[in-house]
Amino acid sequence: MNDGVAIETQDLSKRYGSTTNGVLALDRVNLSITKGSVFGLLGPNGAGKTTLIKVLTGISDITSGNAKVAGFDVRRESLKVRARIGWVAAEVILDDDFSAWENLWLQAKLQNLTEWEDRARQLLQYFSLLDRKDERVNQYSTGMRKKLEIALALLHQPEVIFMDEPTIGLDVGTRRMLWDIVTGVHKEFGVTVLLTTHYIEEADALCDRVAIIDQGRIIAEGTPSELKARVKADLVQLETSDAFDVKTLQAIAGVQEVRAQGNDWVIRVGSSEEFLPRLLRTIPTEHIRRISVEKPSLEMVFLDLTGRRIGQEEEPMRDIRKFYMQMRRARQ
Amino acid sequence: MRSQFWGLYVREVLRTFRNPLVLLITVVQPFMWLAFFGSSFGAVPKQELEALFGTSNYVQFLLPGVLSTSMLTVGMFGAMSTIQDKRFGFMKRILITPTSKEVIFLSKALGSATRGLVQIPVMVAAALVFGVRFGLSPLEWAAWLLALLCLAIGFSSVFLAVTASSTDWQTPGVISNFITMPLMFASSALFSSSQFPSWMQAIAKVNPVSFTALLGRSFVLGRVVDWSYLGYLVIFAVVMITIGYFVSARWLKVE
Repeated sequence: MNDGVAIETQDLSKRYGSTTNGVLALDRVNLSITKGSVFGLLGPNGAGKTTLIKVLTGISDITSGNAKVAGFDVRRESLKVRARIGWVAAEVILDDDFSAWENLWLQAKLQNLTEWEDRARQLLQYFSLLDRKDERVNQYSTGMRKKLEIALALLHQPEVIFMDEPTIGLDVGTRRMLWDIVTGVHKEFGVTVLLTTHYIEEADALCDRVAIIDQGRIIAEGTPSELKARVKADLVQLETSDAFDVKTLQAIAGVQEVRAQGNDWVIRVGSSEEFLPRLLRTIPTEHIRRISVEKPSLEMVFLDLTGRRIGQEEEPMRDIRKFYMQMRRARQ
Repeated sequence: MRSQFWGLYVREVLRTFRNPLVLLITVVQPFMWLAFFGSSFGAVPKQELEALFGTSNYVQFLLPGVLSTSMLTVGMFGAMSTIQDKRFGFMKRILITPTSKEVIFLSKALGSATRGLVQIPVMVAAALVFGVRFGLSPLEWAAWLLALLCLAIGFSSVFLAVTASSTDWQTPGVISNFITMPLMFASSALFSSSQFPSWMQAIAKVNPVSFTALLGRSFVLGRVVDWSYLGYLVIFAVVMITIGYFVSARWLKVE
């Protein structure tokens, strides 16, 4: 492993249960995460994001493959790894019977720290919790609890912080605040952040690099703009009042692909800005019920790669899923 | 390791005092034992009590026994607090630090044993109210306390070992019901075992609950002290804590 890498995995696999009936939660994951970066793991629920964090933090055993965190082998040097990482849970986990200061005290004890008070005070100051440090944390708001949890994760000056779905279940305001905190913490404390999320906009807004994970496999990796560039097209969704010949649409300049479901059309075009005026010249406006345009986003990348949307329920969307799958196959 | 043990041990003990209801019931429960069970021979003539128990005050006979049986249940609290930590994810918070599962076990076992000791001064005070007079030397007090601590540590370790891989709230309660009753009745805690059938006498003879009850009773009633009981109890505690230590290292579940 070279010096600039904070996390590195080689063919990392994790299987729950037996070889025959078990579930392969991670399937030969290869990652190399640069020191000092914010790395996002984007994928739907059950994709293997939390499992990867559990394996990298030593909470779960590795089935096969290798992983190094902060320069140490996760399996053989687990205690050294755990002294160098911080962890922020999806659900806030604090001792509710304790005050913020006591929670920090316990964390300091668990991390074998002797000089921790100044650092703890600085962190509380940074998160605007200093004046309420002696209050029991069950009196805290969700946002405050989350901030304290991040303070706990930073107390021992870790090299890497794992944040598992840091904004899940939070209201929009708190989520925005947390985004600022993640960016701020990363800049202020120079720590590598590995965060998991199933919110596309979160990965887009926070991460230097993103890996898209689905069914335990990393299916794409790159900067958000690199990933979005892969799609190279806009999707125009069109609903018309009457059925008409698909060839009419295919004939419009710039159209790459047209798919229809009754009077609903999904048209892949090079540039929606150039396409829309042409469309309106071809189809009389009174026949158009609705037009929507989707620009390249990580959501589209995921859709493009898997044929389904992140967070999409399995059953009701089956047709659309099949539809996108066909679209992808047709293009290949 | 010392720092981590101390952090978790203090957390375990402090949590008891942070919940007033738990503290109240921990304190009141043995008192109720003395009040209700101790009064059950209230109408028996003094000579008969003297013949049965070697004292005319049944509470004086009962106190060492009740203290022993209450050490049986402290393990249940340790196991419940461990399961709560698993369910609320706190076990993960602990284990994503350089803390080992063995240290978690030790802090839980000793933490819940300490919590059990809180009952002792309360019970002794309650016994004074019921007319018991204590003529113990400081050494005898210390020996009695050590015996109870060994019993508490031993049973806490048993509970933690048995529930190491469990994440179900119900397990500690079920196990407690399962082992507390037989061990309580097949011991010298409540009655003298001399009137037991032979098979129950056999259990009572190797039952560590009997050892603390008999040792405590010999101090309270001023009888000849058999110090070997204390030796057995120390062995019991050491064996159980060793078993718990290795079982936890191997089987303590994280969530």
